[in-house]
Amino acid sequence: MKAVETTAPAPAVAARPRRPARRGRAVAAAVTAAALLAAVPLVLGAYPVSMMTRMLAFAVLVLSVDLLTGITGMPTLGQAAYFGVGAYTAALVGVHLTSDGAVQVAAALLAGLAAAAVTGWIAVRAHGIVFLMLTLAIGESVHQLADTWSLVGGGNGLAGMPPVSVLGTALPAAGFVYWWVLAVAAAAFAVVALVARSPYGRTLRGIRDNEARMRALGYRPGPAKFGVFCLAGAVAAVGGALWAAQVRFVSPGDLGFEVAALALLSVVIGGSGTLWGPCLGAALVLLVRDNLSAHVGGHGALVLGAVFVAVVFTMPRGLAGLARRPRRTEARS
Amino acid sequence: MGVLSAVLRSLRRTTTISGLAVGALALSGCAGSSLDQSGSQGSGDEVKLGLLVPLSGVYAPLGEDMRDGFQLYLDQHGGRLGGKTVRVVTVDEGETPQTGVPAAQKLVTQDRVTAVVGVVNSATALGLRDFFHESKVPLLVANAGADAITGERSSPYVWRTSFANGKVGAALGPAVAEEVDGGVYLITADYAAGREMVGGFRKAFEAAGGKIAGEKYTPFGKTQDYQPYLSAIRNSGAKAVFSFYAGAEAVNFVKQYKQFGLADRIPLYGTGFLTEGGVLNAQGASAVGVKTSLHYSTELDTPINKAFVEAYRTKHGKAPTVYSVQAYDAAAALDKAIAKADGTGGEDIAEALGGIGTIDSPRGPWSFDADHDARQKYYLREVRSDGGSFVNAVLGELD
Amino acid sequence: MDTYLVTVLNGLAMGSLLFAIALGLSLVFGMMDVLNLAHGAIYLVGAYVAVALTGDGAGPAMFVAAVLAAAAAGAVLGGALAGMTRATPHHLDQALLTLGVALVVAESLTVVFGSDVHSLAAPAPLDGGVQILGQTYPVYRLLVIAFGAILALVVYRLVERSRLGAVIRATVADRAMVSALGIDTGRVLVGVFAAGAALAAVGGVLAGPILGAQPGLDEKVLLLALVVVVVGGLGSVRGALLGAVLIGQVQALGVALLPEYASFLLFAAMAAVLLMRPAGLLPAPTAVRA
Repeated sequence: MKAVETTAPAPAVAARPRRPARRGRAVAAAVTAAALLAAVPLVLGAYPVSMMTRMLAFAVLVLSVDLLTGITGMPTLGQAAYFGVGAYTAALVGVHLTSDGAVQVAAALLAGLAAAAVTGWIAVRAHGIVFLMLTLAIGESVHQLADTWSLVGGGNGLAGMPPVSVLGTALPAAGFVYWWVLAVAAAAFAVVALVARSPYGRTLRGIRDNEARMRALGYRPGPAKFGVFCLAGAVAAVGGALWAAQVRFVSPGDLGFEVAALALLSVVIGGSGTLWGPCLGAALVLLVRDNLSAHVGGHGALVLGAVFVAVVFTMPRGLAGLARRPRRTEARS
Repeated sequence: MGVLSAVLRSLRRTTTISGLAVGALALSGCAGSSLDQSGSQGSGDEVKLGLLVPLSGVYAPLGEDMRDGFQLYLDQHGGRLGGKTVRVVTVDEGETPQTGVPAAQKLVTQDRVTAVVGVVNSATALGLRDFFHESKVPLLVANAGADAITGERSSPYVWRTSFANGKVGAALGPAVAEEVDGGVYLITADYAAGREMVGGFRKAFEAAGGKIAGEKYTPFGKTQDYQPYLSAIRNSGAKAVFSFYAGAEAVNFVKQYKQFGLADRIPLYGTGFLTEGGVLNAQGASAVGVKTSLHYSTELDTPINKAFVEAYRTKHGKAPTVYSVQAYDAAAALDKAIAKADGTGGEDIAEALGGIGTIDSPRGPWSFDADHDARQKYYLREVRSDGGSFVNAVLGELD
Repeated sequence: MDTYLVTVLNGLAMGSLLFAIALGLSLVFGMMDVLNLAHGAIYLVGAYVAVALTGDGAGPAMFVAAVLAAAAAGAVLGGALAGMTRATPHHLDQALLTLGVALVVAESLTVVFGSDVHSLAAPAPLDGGVQILGQTYPVYRLLVIAFGAILALVVYRLVERSRLGAVIRATVADRAMVSALGIDTGRVLVGVFAAGAALAAVGGVLAGPILGAQPGLDEKVLLLALVVVVVGGLGSVRGALLGAVLIGQVQALGVALLPEYASFLLFAAMAAVLLMRPAGLLPAPTAVRA
């Protein structure tokens, strides 16, 4: 069936082994980026910093979508469910057990892993649009559960989470929360990047590009896909815990269809398959959603829609394509 | 799109993320470091107020009415509240806390408003409680109905000019127990507000000797066709139905209640949101005869309400709704509080709100109770045709 | 028992509407591999066309005019989308593009018509009820069932029995081969896209008296149509019909029988079908290839 091919085109550059000079440049870029990001709270006020904190948390969710969609070729609308599982777990831990951020993140990670393992074995048997619809079904069912389960507050959400503390110190101000979220998000990024570059990551790309051939070569796509699904669930849950750390509140809206769709779109806008592109896409999408709506009389969707259309026609490879295009011509000449 | 492409062009090199930070900076304006916590500031003769209402999503009609009501009060008072010139910053609450919480954070931490008015979504209000409590900025909830907002999660900084779900439902309980001879069927959307309203009704209704004939909770936001439920109601032998729906669900439910022939045989009761504002316009003749409880109706026969409806119509070209009144009254409460307060800081105003006494509102006199909820009258209303348009005629007060 | 028969009837009415809406989505996916996420927005255009033309309770003539106007608007939008998606080769880009168009179209409708809920009356002679098995049933819904049946017959004849249908089916099966035979597949694709979109917009008019028109309805309808399409099998007329009837009954009879699980039924049914038959119940013959 054709739906098997419903995957992103292979971004040739990302899959190719990197030359030393280029790796050096990439490391330098990562260090510069990390340093600049770390300096943000020194310069910006509380609101922009809290906004960037949410962007970072959302970017971790988007990373998990990218892991599935961009790298393994499984377009998903269900990652918001695991994001929500992580956020609810962190909030429950925060309300009832401890305000320690590390414990919350660890608990969320385990919960996300478990949730993905329970639901994933059904989903990974499908391909393309069928996989997409199954993940949508998972997402909607979990959303429904959150909306009606009184133990987690039902539709009113779960409030009352104290400020996150790290190493025994509470972090009340926006800037400190930001640093904590940045540190965890950077660790998540590093883990996903390592996985993507590992032999396992190459197997996943192989599955994306031609699953039948991988099977013929003796790989077993089933377990590989299940593994990456669980990993993505854990990463999304970490994103959820970080979101909860900033907002200090979780409600069913946090794991709704809108969040899942925005996460998938961030991957496409950013350029699926690369890791930093989708992170930028995440920031762009949240920036438009949270800051433009009131300025255009509540019609933010109009702007967001126009951005989507413009991205497709001006940046066929997403934001990541902008950086890659010059290099490619270099390589050809 | 020029700005976008310029930003994107600046992202081309390796300095992508710094470009983004610069973009964020440019968009949000520089406001110093974020490593300390500071509350609201008031300065001299001006106060800055935040209006947090949904301008997009399914609650947008409510948000527009609230904005219009708030604006009307300001216009009627020369743009001044409590003797101070008011500057209003309006942000979009959106549909869920996903958008509502960040919008409130912007008002308080960036715009440094003295107080915030609005909030339609109950989850958003509950989610923001700690934030306002810790920031020491008053939040005047002008719609969100969750009982906990002025119950177990109350705060000295959170005040409500609207209603608590349970109380609106409870107001109708004794009246239905008296009017209906037989069991009453309960049906509502399956979410917190629906369950609280039905729960409030059930308690008061059963205390007054009423009997429940059955109950159903329909999937919230997903139900378009109520026929299976309407059949169940018909077969239950119920003598009346109590329900709560809002928005498109209210329109579909009331229309289908009529289309499937139940309206002629089993009287329909509900909380007033079932037939309020734009929803009633869409229901039209199908809603005639539906009886509801609410703390306001455009048909209240008092001089102050008549003047209000007239002024609102002149200004906005349509009739006000309960949502307009709730925001109008939030402005009235702030008017009194700012006049009484020692300063224009959030703490001063929160303290002053406790001593403003009774407000003479289009809905009738009301005041804040000990939990900061509105203590007010509820009215029994019935939808009637009024020369081509439809209104909620007031049958009397409920107590 | 009588109660359930009326519920089954009602499920058929919903199934008829779903068939009209989902058919275009299914054929476009089958032929072009394009998941058109703007399909719900096109439906909403039809609904608002009905609001504009018949909002104040118009007679049958105006209702027919609304159907035609909606079909025209839908066809234009569908044609435009066909052009745009053909210029973007990648699936995820197409999804982003059609979703962008959906947001722009739906939000423009909100700008024009406001964010209030609009409801529509059925055309004058059909707005009453009849007694069926002792229960009042709206006449208009019977008309919708009849429309669904006629549409199913016409489309089946057209796609399965005519020369044009043969070309369409062949294009679903192997576009390159049809192209090699000297047939302009581009025109076939644009034509099917436009026709499918027109049908969705007509669905918006027909569903108007039942579902009304309001912001957000586009997403709900798109979701239902997607479920119908994957349950039925992509690219197949018979699949869309079976899927629509099945989902209509799940939403009606299923809810009547299992009200406690109403909110999980739709997706549970879809997951169950997909686990047993990953390609859907009646996929287009070619879609089994891979």
